[in-house]
Amino acid sequence: MILSSSSTTKGLFDVLTGGEPLSYFNRIYLFLFLPLVVLIYNLTPKRFRPVILIIASFICFFMMSNKLIVFLILSILSIYLSGRLMNKVDDKTEKALKKCKKTEKKVVKEKYKKKKKIILVLTILINVAFLFYFKYLNFFAGNANIILKWLNIKYSFQILHHLAPIGISFYTLEALSYIIDVYNSKIKAETNLLKVTLFLSFFPQIMEGPIARYSDTAESLYSGIKVTYKSFCFGYQRILYGLFKKLVIANRLNILVKIIFNEYMNYSGLSVALGVIGYTIMLYMEFSGTMDIVLGSGEMFGVKIPENFRQPFFSKNISEFWTRWHISLGLWFKDYIFYPVSLSKPMKNLTVKARKKLGNHFGPLISGTVALFTVWFLNGLWHGAGWTYLFFGMYHFFMILMGNIFEPLIIKICQKLHIDRKKKFYRVFQSVKMTILVFIGELFFRAPTMKNAFEMLSRIFTKISFKTVKNGELLSLGLDIHDYIVLILAIIFIFVIGLLKEKGKNIREDISNKDIFTRWILYYALIVIIIVFGAYGIGYEPVEPIYADF
Amino acid sequence: MKNILINLLKSILFLVLLIIILELITIMLLPKYSIKKYGFQNTVKYEILQEKPDTIDVIYLGDSLVYSSISPMEIWNQYGYTGFDCAKAAESIANTRKHLEVAIKHEHPKVVFFEANVLYRDPNKRPWYYRLKSEVFSVFAITKYHDNWKQIGIKKSKIISNVNKGYVYMTKLSKYKPIRKINNPKRLRPIPEGNIEELKKIVKICKDNNIKLVLINNPSNKSWIYSKHYATKKIAKEYNLEYIDLNLADDLKIDWTRETKDKGDHLNHSGAKKVSAYIGEYLFSLGLLEDHRNDNKYQEWNRAYKYYSEN
Repeated sequence: MILSSSSTTKGLFDVLTGGEPLSYFNRIYLFLFLPLVVLIYNLTPKRFRPVILIIASFICFFMMSNKLIVFLILSILSIYLSGRLMNKVDDKTEKALKKCKKTEKKVVKEKYKKKKKIILVLTILINVAFLFYFKYLNFFAGNANIILKWLNIKYSFQILHHLAPIGISFYTLEALSYIIDVYNSKIKAETNLLKVTLFLSFFPQIMEGPIARYSDTAESLYSGIKVTYKSFCFGYQRILYGLFKKLVIANRLNILVKIIFNEYMNYSGLSVALGVIGYTIMLYMEFSGTMDIVLGSGEMFGVKIPENFRQPFFSKNISEFWTRWHISLGLWFKDYIFYPVSLSKPMKNLTVKARKKLGNHFGPLISGTVALFTVWFLNGLWHGAGWTYLFFGMYHFFMILMGNIFEPLIIKICQKLHIDRKKKFYRVFQSVKMTILVFIGELFFRAPTMKNAFEMLSRIFTKISFKTVKNGELLSLGLDIHDYIVLILAIIFIFVIGLLKEKGKNIREDISNKDIFTRWILYYALIVIIIVFGAYGIGYEPVEPIYADF
Repeated sequence: MKNILINLLKSILFLVLLIIILELITIMLLPKYSIKKYGFQNTVKYEILQEKPDTIDVIYLGDSLVYSSISPMEIWNQYGYTGFDCAKAAESIANTRKHLEVAIKHEHPKVVFFEANVLYRDPNKRPWYYRLKSEVFSVFAITKYHDNWKQIGIKKSKIISNVNKGYVYMTKLSKYKPIRKINNPKRLRPIPEGNIEELKKIVKICKDNNIKLVLINNPSNKSWIYSKHYATKKIAKEYNLEYIDLNLADDLKIDWTRETKDKGDHLNHSGAKKVSAYIGEYLFSLGLLEDHRNDNKYQEWNRAYKYYSEN
């Protein structure tokens, strides 16, 4: 559990939150913290507004992670100072280039580039070291201890019991993207420390991303744009949608998912399948719901935080799925891992050789596969220090690789069978196939151990019994018939919204163009549905912010 | 400026209409007979009024120590006694007395437990945010009763409005190493002015209604100290009341490393189960109450227990 549990000093905060840690779904965040920040922000002169956002962000971080805020500050300082140093090196390079002869220019450039590289590597090491210490040290120490025991060596590494700063996996990737972009001269290093601070610590993003780039948000964050009535309403409109996903669907599914994943041996294949499907839907609703709140919060301050989801279940294949699910993470891996690996010198050489032997399709696939493997190995590891996460990464690597290898064959088969791949029925078939593969991947993602995951998977196929529907087993999964009805209707609602968005409809604009009477009725209806049919309070256990643990 | 004013008015109107809509829905979700007889505000403020009249055997009065230590549903399951936690966070003794007055207009309990920690709370020093929280709650009471929509269509008399009967279910664990406390029988914790007068009123109400009043100290390694124990013991003797201090009960054995939700101040569900079993046994030993588990009039309690145990 990465969420830091700050010391439970009983006071105003504990009383108001009921002792729950601060999260984006907490009423204190939604109805006290956020409106209060908006109010203070608007009352402050424009040039000081970014400072208000920094103070709010630090308060928010401190409430979640207490003194571990030091590590966030260290990350900020490391990238800021490194950026400045790189700037100085650039200046020196320019001066040196002006003074040197034409023939020496290459040598001079190399010399200073090396210096920049040293700064870059050191900064990366510092930030990755923090991440490694908090997230991976125990995993590696635990596995090393197993090997040492196996080798009969009487030494064991100490397993540390510590909490990690909230969102460390997210802000570390943001920090790395900043410094790598500066190194590659994509952006100029920022001279204003406050700007870098706000980029890395902006409170709506700190817990679960999205992993924004400096060029995405830094300017708008620092511009001090006034919160208008429209931006405020639009922000809360998006927040409401997120609340619907989380409270009505994710929290309700959490009951069923917990029972199935903890006691799958007592249930039939159909119930286990329901639990697995339920988990994927829950994960989507929780994470995308959180993103709605994050983006809605940003929207209020005129900050356009990049979207992290784009109707992922309408994808054709796993590869496309990952361009629609957790988009910012996928892009990060693409830009900072996939391309640097596949475009590296050894890989380029490999491609040239492989192309000669294997042809134009399979040749370039070799270097691409090496890069893809690196991406998915790191992607699995990023999600958590555990074998199930590594397997999750490798599973996706394998699926994408298979897709790449068999693509020409599938095209040929379709041509022979006269199947039009652009037809609706084929698209639906592709999406269904892709969704099933995603369900299986998420099963490994959630299962406590690999053994459990394989047992569950086998149970789905070997213990299938349609008696489950008749014998009331489905009603023993913590949900009653009312809950199932609400779930089905709510999921259909989200599906229809997704379908409309997929067809290019801008639903939010459409609503805002309606007259005030219709608008208010829609808002009231959504609020009442969330409050009445939400799965919270007695008898429910809310889903913990899943991605905050990564 | 004109635009700001219009937008401000629009926002206020939106919120006012929202509150009205939510209150109307809450009314639909609460037992109609309580609303009709006691009004919306009282029904929400004093949850015991949502119970069927004259069905509660025991009332547990006090503060957060009560609703985190005593689960009436556990006692129901083991002994068939009905009970209700009439308790609020950091409650003052005057409000506790008022709570009792309201409750006995609706119910006729045979036993009332009074959490002695309330005696030592200065009513003038109650943090403002507790009051604010209860005021806000009365406006947004729907958040507590929202799940009652599942009972729409069930016969009015069979609606279960409050499954936990005032108890607050908490499984959270916050490890705690108990502090050793100084035991000096001569040191008595002073009771704030006016609190004894309020206690006298509570004693009188119970006497007039033929109710056995028991002073109790629920387990709390943070709020409880020996000087409170000796002072309460003295008062109990003075007013001829029975006094149970669960902080000194040898056979209760609270494990503070596993059974507290907030580092020794309150118990979690595991600790509450122990306390409830202890109180159930005590009530049984009194021989004043009947087991209602097989009584038709109390079948909603069995149904409520089913919900309670599933959660």
